[in-house]
Amino acid sequence: MKRAASALFVVLLGLLCVAVPSSAAPASSTSTGGEMDPLGAARAAGLPPTIKVGTEGVYPPFSYHGGTGSGLTGYDVDVMNAIGKHLGVKVEYVETPFDSMFAALEAGRFDVVANQITFNEERNARYDLSDPYVETTGVLVVRKDETRIKTIADLKGKRSAQNITSNWAEVAKKAGATVVPVDDMALAIDNLEQGRVDALVNDKLAIRNYLATKKDAGVKVVAETDDVSRSVLAARKGSGYLPQLNKAIADLKADGTLDKIYAKYFGAERKQTSTLQVMKDNAWPMARAALTKTIPLTAISFAIGMVIALAVGLMRMSKQPVVSGIARLYISFIRGTPLLVQLFLIFYALPQLGVKIEPFLAAVIAFSVNVGGYAAEIVRSSVESLPKGQWEAASTVGMDYATTLRRIILPQAARTAVPPLSNTLISLVKDTSLAAVILVTELFQQARLAAAPSFEFLALFGMAAVYYWVICLVLSFVQSRTETRLNRFVAA
Amino acid sequence: MSTSPSTHLVEVEHLRKSFGDNVVIEDVSFTVDPGTVTCVIGPSGSGKTTLLRALNALEVPDKGIVRIGDTTVDFAGINPGARGRLPRAQRAELMALRRHSGMVFQAHHLFPHKTALENVTEGPVVVQHEPGAEATERARRLLDKVGLADHADKYPFQLSGGQQQRVGIARALAMRPDLVLFDEPTSALDPELVGDVLGVMKALAGEGLTMVVVTHELRFAQQVADQVLFIDGGLIVEQGPPQDVIANPQHPRTKTFLQRLLEPI
Repeated sequence: MKRAASALFVVLLGLLCVAVPSSAAPASSTSTGGEMDPLGAARAAGLPPTIKVGTEGVYPPFSYHGGTGSGLTGYDVDVMNAIGKHLGVKVEYVETPFDSMFAALEAGRFDVVANQITFNEERNARYDLSDPYVETTGVLVVRKDETRIKTIADLKGKRSAQNITSNWAEVAKKAGATVVPVDDMALAIDNLEQGRVDALVNDKLAIRNYLATKKDAGVKVVAETDDVSRSVLAARKGSGYLPQLNKAIADLKADGTLDKIYAKYFGAERKQTSTLQVMKDNAWPMARAALTKTIPLTAISFAIGMVIALAVGLMRMSKQPVVSGIARLYISFIRGTPLLVQLFLIFYALPQLGVKIEPFLAAVIAFSVNVGGYAAEIVRSSVESLPKGQWEAASTVGMDYATTLRRIILPQAARTAVPPLSNTLISLVKDTSLAAVILVTELFQQARLAAAPSFEFLALFGMAAVYYWVICLVLSFVQSRTETRLNRFVAA
Repeated sequence: MSTSPSTHLVEVEHLRKSFGDNVVIEDVSFTVDPGTVTCVIGPSGSGKTTLLRALNALEVPDKGIVRIGDTTVDFAGINPGARGRLPRAQRAELMALRRHSGMVFQAHHLFPHKTALENVTEGPVVVQHEPGAEATERARRLLDKVGLADHADKYPFQLSGGQQQRVGIARALAMRPDLVLFDEPTSALDPELVGDVLGVMKALAGEGLTMVVVTHELRFAQQVADQVLFIDGGLIVEQGPPQDVIANPQHPRTKTFLQRLLEPI
């Protein structure tokens, strides 16, 4: 049943030309049924030998990338590393936007969340929550020149920037504020400084870290929340991890490890890095993200997309109603749904049918299928723009359909197809930035990782824009060269 | 249809073709002997071109039988079905029929992305798997024969209309067909270019090439044709040697047509 449903869904998505089932098979774990727990039998024995941990990577000082564009670090990361070491298991991190965190946990993309998850009863009902490893309060932050908002109660009717799935959003909402959803704390503060919102509520430690990093910040803390927020680790319900995790937390509290980590991140004030230094530090990591993620993602997806486009474009021209109908449906679905939704369907929804695909592969599939849909129409229109006489002439020298396509039709169709296909390719380069939402650290996500701890939005996003622009300039150059070459057999 | 069938190269029996309600060929039968030239004349819309295209199945007739050489196709058995493609076996039949003839189009339909030489070698090399050097050598001789030896490496857009049409003739000949079909080969040409093309065709006829030519060039028909078919309204109204059909027509419709053509206002 499940298999049939999954197959149907795959067809619906128009994935028929991509070998999803086969490529997904190794990652899939459904046929046994039950909860989607990739650990399977290991569950009974507690933690697996390598534990996958979901964390944001853009939430300093808890989970972020150091100023030099280096690896993941932060308070929660250090705590999790200490727990892993204490229990003798390897820890592997999966960076995930906060608002997708619990969806990804349920989809089995990782086993535990370590990201300042605040204990509350709703969460406790849905997930396995550990004992707290740190307790803080929330603080109310406003612009320096703000005078109207002094207490949490003053939030009534004001706009507050929050991660919508975070506990602090609840605090703001309860006080009567309108919650403006943002992706991470850095963006929340930016929105506040720009005056797009009136306030934000966030973790005291995080805010303290921000104010230590940015001495010239245009915001101030005006109040503290009453209730203490207890940060816990979260796992899927019935994971069986809790006894070990709780014991480790207790042991690390007892031997002073947690205090040491606390002092490292919240003790002394930290030095500020200049904008230029931040740009220098991140120039290579961003270039590397472009070279290892953005460009390969674009190239592979475009190549596969072209194959799909050719097949679907030709199917679309078929005289058999069923064949052309399938092609029409595919094109209609791809063009009629947002690329972002297609990405989410493949990455977050398919796991619920038991098809779990790794981030990069999922991105390749989504982009290929998307390009295939758009380019199919380009293939069709450029083939149809050729005179019928070309087909006839080819058949009078004895060519069959396939030979005619290969030798006569496609070489000529390429000429009219190159400009619109180049548009598709250039759009694709930029669309790959959407892959960040499915955990691919491509160029733009790398810029966000760097911007989170440094708060250098203009410099880093500006740099990302220039990087994209350069890639597209190169492609435009290649396009005009190709056009010249293909135009050699046409009168000027 | 009186002599033994084996002496004819082409036999057409009771061909009928309609497009929807429009019957273009009602009932046409004729034969072509090897080494002869058959000219098909008649007013526009009379079904000449459709008849020619039926001989290589570019148009699939509703019914009737076409035999060329050892290939016979009974079109009553060729059915595309409901809007679909022909079944593979039927397509193979049509391909077999098509292999006997070469075609020269009114609008030449050269492959614009290939040079004159490549246009000629394309079929032999890709379809007949003739070795490249051999095909090139043969193509050069064919281009020489149509007077284009110096233009072998030009793209079609660099050639005049008459030159393009002569490349088209060389391309058709390269497949070593049993006969060549010409669909109004000079109608799209400037008048001063017509002579070059007709000259080449005349020379080919002299060499014994079997040709079926749809044309408005009455002088060419008179000089070169062994047989003239006058078609009107989807029927052969009159047929015979040019000295009968053109010089001494019997049927009033033939007379009217020829008068209009020979004595324009």
